[in-house]
Amino acid sequence: MTQMTALDTLVPGPLSLAGHRLGTPQQAGALTMVPISGPAHRGYVPPRTGLKLTRVAGYGQVELSNRADSGVAIVPLHIGYIQDRAQNHALCRSAFLAPGQTVRFDDACCVQQSQGGLLSERDQWFFVLPLELRARALDLRGVTGYSKLWDDIAALNARHGLPRRGHLEQILSRKRAVLTQFQSRLEPQPAQLGALFFVSGRFAGLEIAPDPRYFAEMWTALVCFAYGVAAWHAEPAPPGPGTAPFDLAPRDGTPYQGTPYQGAGLAGLRAALDRDRSVRLTEIGGWLADAPTGPVELREEERYLDVRLSTVTAPHLAGQIVTDGDRTVYASLFAR
Amino acid sequence: MDTPTLLAHLHHHDTALSLPRGACLRWDDADLHRAAHTGDPEGYALLGLAPGVRPWQRARVLLQILAASQAGLDDRARAVQARVARVLTLGLPPAHVITVLLALRRLRANHKHTTRTALRFVLEHPAADALIAARRPALRDCFEHALGAATARGCAGRIAGGDTASDYLQRRLLRFLTDPAAAPARVQALYDAGKAAAATPGGDHTAVGEPVLPVDTARRRPATITATNRGDIAATLVHLYRGGPSEDLYAALGRYVGAAAAAFPRFTGTVALVLDASASMRGYGDREWAALSQAAALRMVLSQVCARLEVIETGGDERAPRGATDLATGVLDALGAGPDLVAVVSDGYENVFPGDLARVVASLPGAGVTTPVVFCHALFTSSDDLTLRRPAPSLPQRGFWHQDDFAELLPWMFGHCEAGAPWLRAALHDRLDALDRQADTLTARIAA
Repeated sequence: MTQMTALDTLVPGPLSLAGHRLGTPQQAGALTMVPISGPAHRGYVPPRTGLKLTRVAGYGQVELSNRADSGVAIVPLHIGYIQDRAQNHALCRSAFLAPGQTVRFDDACCVQQSQGGLLSERDQWFFVLPLELRARALDLRGVTGYSKLWDDIAALNARHGLPRRGHLEQILSRKRAVLTQFQSRLEPQPAQLGALFFVSGRFAGLEIAPDPRYFAEMWTALVCFAYGVAAWHAEPAPPGPGTAPFDLAPRDGTPYQGTPYQGAGLAGLRAALDRDRSVRLTEIGGWLADAPTGPVELREEERYLDVRLSTVTAPHLAGQIVTDGDRTVYASLFAR
Repeated sequence: MDTPTLLAHLHHHDTALSLPRGACLRWDDADLHRAAHTGDPEGYALLGLAPGVRPWQRARVLLQILAASQAGLDDRARAVQARVARVLTLGLPPAHVITVLLALRRLRANHKHTTRTALRFVLEHPAADALIAARRPALRDCFEHALGAATARGCAGRIAGGDTASDYLQRRLLRFLTDPAAAPARVQALYDAGKAAAATPGGDHTAVGEPVLPVDTARRRPATITATNRGDIAATLVHLYRGGPSEDLYAALGRYVGAAAAAFPRFTGTVALVLDASASMRGYGDREWAALSQAAALRMVLSQVCARLEVIETGGDERAPRGATDLATGVLDALGAGPDLVAVVSDGYENVFPGDLARVVASLPGAGVTTPVVFCHALFTSSDDLTLRRPAPSLPQRGFWHQDDFAELLPWMFGHCEAGAPWLRAALHDRLDALDRQADTLTARIAA
């Protein structure tokens, strides 16, 4: 597609995305992902291989370690951990962790109302809080109280037709088979280090990672959980039974209902397909252009050498960014 | 005969034939079978042996070839009908065959080939004694229909009187059989419950429900399916993809592909394979490389079976799957190669853009493109949830997850194109020969 200029209006001022480019969009149901490539910033520890949840010190208290020998770890905004038979927590903010450093987050939120246990070092996987919870979670950064997100989680569950409980696992684990399909329904591009997400044609989020490896490690958490939950809720129920037989009946399912392309021969069809795709790319470009814009408020939260972690707030979006001088290293911004 | 339609019907329509008391035979797809048989009796009979055909469809094929006259058929076609009938009487559950023979009685079908097949089933089936003990009235009806009631009872009376090889028996009964020596005792058992019970002193009738000749090889599904227990080719590829020692693995790969391809005749046409090599085909976690390795295994076997195979990769490539899935452009590129058949091999996740493949496929007829397109679904197991993985539901589609699936997949694929007709016939002739040899072994073992 085109040089990313529209984002300059989406996030004016603090977020320089010079050199970042948009790729060809992909769609899966209600979720549209526009890949972003651009300059990689080496030396940042990626979350899966370098960052570990070492301990849940107490309810609402989570310890993370940067186990890498070198490189600062940027804790992804709103990362949460699922551990078998332990209290699951999510963080309300991002942070820097120096090599070998362990940091305790006292403002974490418990996302599992009825599960006891404070185990450590068990098998774990991480997620990013669903879009619907992110603005509230960001507002609650610095606020202690492990149950502070339960009401919002309960409301989210209720909206998804699940029991009204402060138990995010109802969505993350019970619907995991559906949600994790997003990591295959959408596919990361080589050298991709960021993405724009749209749900039902509306801007949902912008994610930029320091480098492609960091982004690849975030892929599942972002596409399946941060944005997949909202997309799953938005998309219509798929046709047909939940499980298809191995020996697929021919011509089963819902036949294509649209209008066939009008084109003579293969060349005609190819031209018609190209024209149609061009229209759709323009439409997606329009979604970005239509995203609410306006001034944002920037508040610096942390420093590590020359890099800065700041919180972005505005009526139309929020999130956190990491900058190194005028270069954007990390961004996790979402519509509100 | 529209082979894809008929084959799909044989694969999927599995309702039983039934004979309600006092009513007509219930054969819901009789017209289809009659038309197919009329159009190409030999091809029709052979198609009944295609891998994966449902047992009740095989029973219908048996019924059709036994009910129809062979007038006008040449010796070769008659021989094929007879051999297929023999294989099916051994390869179907005996209860299915009995239903077919009783249906022939209702239809009053009484040809020489009908008589021969019925008598051989009743009197020479490897489990004949147990069958007679278990289903004596029904088999006696079959026997009397085959010979005519008066003749059958005449033969039975003579046998009861000690006759075993008179001219009467020879002309009316024994000449239809391959093992006349065994017949008298079984005819007596048909008319004497005591003798029937004595022929199976243990009363063990457990074998009478099962076919004695496995037409389709029974497959045992592993308790846990992994990336490497899905056939030798895919397993070897997975180790190569993971970076295993390449020299030994490549040598083994060549052997495995050669052996797998040798099971099929040569396809003289051109296949264009749209191979999804996107990121999702690589998979992740325990399933990493599973789908791609099996898709690559299919590509490798096809490359040896087909005279010309054009491969159009979408996303990345076989060794480095990456990026998005654009199946619509892949199909247009494939059609540009002028193939006899386009086969899309994909996990079914289409994201550039969803619906494009379906729309392009729907547009082909209007654009004057008649080349058949089929969708081969790369699965992890046979129970994959495909709800979100059907990019073009109107396309003929079939799943595969194991190398053994190729035995059904290739006939299904080639059956969709005109150039595949001779291939399919040759493959089914090979299959008939193999089954016939197994049947010879079976009957020789029983006789011994």
